[in-house]
Amino acid sequence: MSAVPAHAGEHAMLERVYIWELPVRLAHWLLFFSIVTLAVTGFYIGHPFISAPGPASAHFIMGRMRSVHLYASIVFTLAALVRVYWAFAGNRYARWSQLLPVSLERWRSFRQAFLFYTFLSRQSVDYLGHNALAGLTYAGIFAVYFVMMATGFALYTVYAPPGSPMQWFGWLIPLFHGLPIARLIHHIGMWVILVFAVAHVYFPVLYALVERNGVFDSIFSGYKFKEPGSRE
Amino acid sequence: MAHTRLMRELQRQGVSRREFLTFCASMATVLGLPEGSAAAIAKAVENEKRPILVWLEFQDCAGNTESFLRASHPTVADLVLDTISLNYHETLMAAAGAQAEGVLDETVKQNKGNYIALVEGSIPGDADSGYCCIGGRSALDIAREVCGNAAATIAVGTCATFGGIPAARPNPTRALSVADAVPGVRNLINMSACPANAENITALIVYYLTLKQWPPLDRYRRPLFAYGKSIHDGCERRAHFDAGQYVESWGDEAHRHGHCLYKMGCKGPATSQNCPNVGWNEHTNWPIGCGHPCIGCAEPNFWDVMTPFYQKLPDVAGVNTDRWLDTVGVGLTGAVAAGVVVHGIGEVMRRGRGRLVVEEKPAAGKGTGEQAGAKK
Repeated sequence: MSAVPAHAGEHAMLERVYIWELPVRLAHWLLFFSIVTLAVTGFYIGHPFISAPGPASAHFIMGRMRSVHLYASIVFTLAALVRVYWAFAGNRYARWSQLLPVSLERWRSFRQAFLFYTFLSRQSVDYLGHNALAGLTYAGIFAVYFVMMATGFALYTVYAPPGSPMQWFGWLIPLFHGLPIARLIHHIGMWVILVFAVAHVYFPVLYALVERNGVFDSIFSGYKFKEPGSRE
Repeated sequence: MAHTRLMRELQRQGVSRREFLTFCASMATVLGLPEGSAAAIAKAVENEKRPILVWLEFQDCAGNTESFLRASHPTVADLVLDTISLNYHETLMAAAGAQAEGVLDETVKQNKGNYIALVEGSIPGDADSGYCCIGGRSALDIAREVCGNAAATIAVGTCATFGGIPAARPNPTRALSVADAVPGVRNLINMSACPANAENITALIVYYLTLKQWPPLDRYRRPLFAYGKSIHDGCERRAHFDAGQYVESWGDEAHRHGHCLYKMGCKGPATSQNCPNVGWNEHTNWPIGCGHPCIGCAEPNFWDVMTPFYQKLPDVAGVNTDRWLDTVGVGLTGAVAAGVVVHGIGEVMRRGRGRLVVEEKPAAGKGTGEQAGAKK
């Protein structure tokens, strides 16, 4: 990358910093695999595009899709809960204050990040953890996750066997004004997450390529490279 | 044994004791009672003192009355219910006007706390709105007096249970369910569905006669024996759902083979009732059995949330989400993907024009609250 020769020369001075602890990375990848599984099976459940020929007894397509969806939803729920727990128990980069712009300083950086990403400013925001805009986006996507859990659990109560603890989530149904609307919200939520996913893959890949700060690798290894100017 | 009043009446109608016992056994089945309970039911139905019932009709179509009477040849259930002391029922009683109202008044006063009120239809929320007045009194007034003094109230049909069609948007009469119109009503049992299944109403009364108590209820105060399971879970077409065999259009090959109606907007997956097991019109058939998707009539706000009946998902602001949601989703995801490609090109170009300004380390910026509070 000849465009950033000065940058490359500074690599010797970069400090290797442990940012993402194991629970953060584990939760991230469990969420990744469960979301892919949930999206594929969920799309089929919402819009069954394969039709099985012959006698019903020879097939179990929807049945299998639903079972996989239900098991994946357990993984998804637990992974999201682990990440939320770690927002209170983890290191400074994992904490809730990194996700919500609670301080004035983060509000300013929020504005700066927005201007930078929209090409309105050339001044980048170089954070070791999340920048304020990214943090708030993650907070937002977790809100969507919890909406997905709430609608999903509400939908499941109809199938939960009598006496199952999952029946307890029935109180959520009136909140959505009935199951069809819960289903609609659940379906819209999938697309919100997929749209987020596209942007979420793009930004780290791009900035890993042009900044070479290890932001993309960090979710595998946990380490990032600290530049002299970056904030924690 | 065969000389009770009920048995004499049954014999007069040409109903044998065998048929009567078959009825008791079928009731035990509907209620999910154990083997041998048919005998207990037969004993209770023959010998117990009949509870006094009053049947109120408010904003309704008398569909539940029709269902209750089944509008067909007399059956054992009709006779059993006939022998119940039904003191007041506008559609059925011969009396009218002041005479009829007098009967209601008398029943309520003389049997205070001892009768059962059945309510059909929703109740306008404003007592002086002028909607639904009987004998010069508002429905709200009557419901509060009659249900308030009853030993138990059975809301029959979706209108009485959840407000039903009169309460659908825009709800011009501010229609309420019995539970909302009579706060704190005692022993309320909801029998939703449009209309409520006569089999279930009969079973509920038989349960009460036999066990002297009301059956276990779900979160909407509906008996679990009738509403404890989704229609989808009991559906005879469920195997086709699980296999992945769906009707795509009316009268297609799959429809003729009796495949699942899920893609035609069936609301069975969102609706709890025992229709697949009990059926309608003396077990003749039921909607899904004859190729029509369930419309979810037993659920709250069904007219608002289960519509359009022939789509999987509800409309939003007149937009058919069933048809367009995934198209919009794919389009939006594609647009964002295209957007990031453009953004990526822009980013590479701007970096090509020279090193970016990396934000200066703020002198005092490092010790702000977020970091001070952070655990190392």
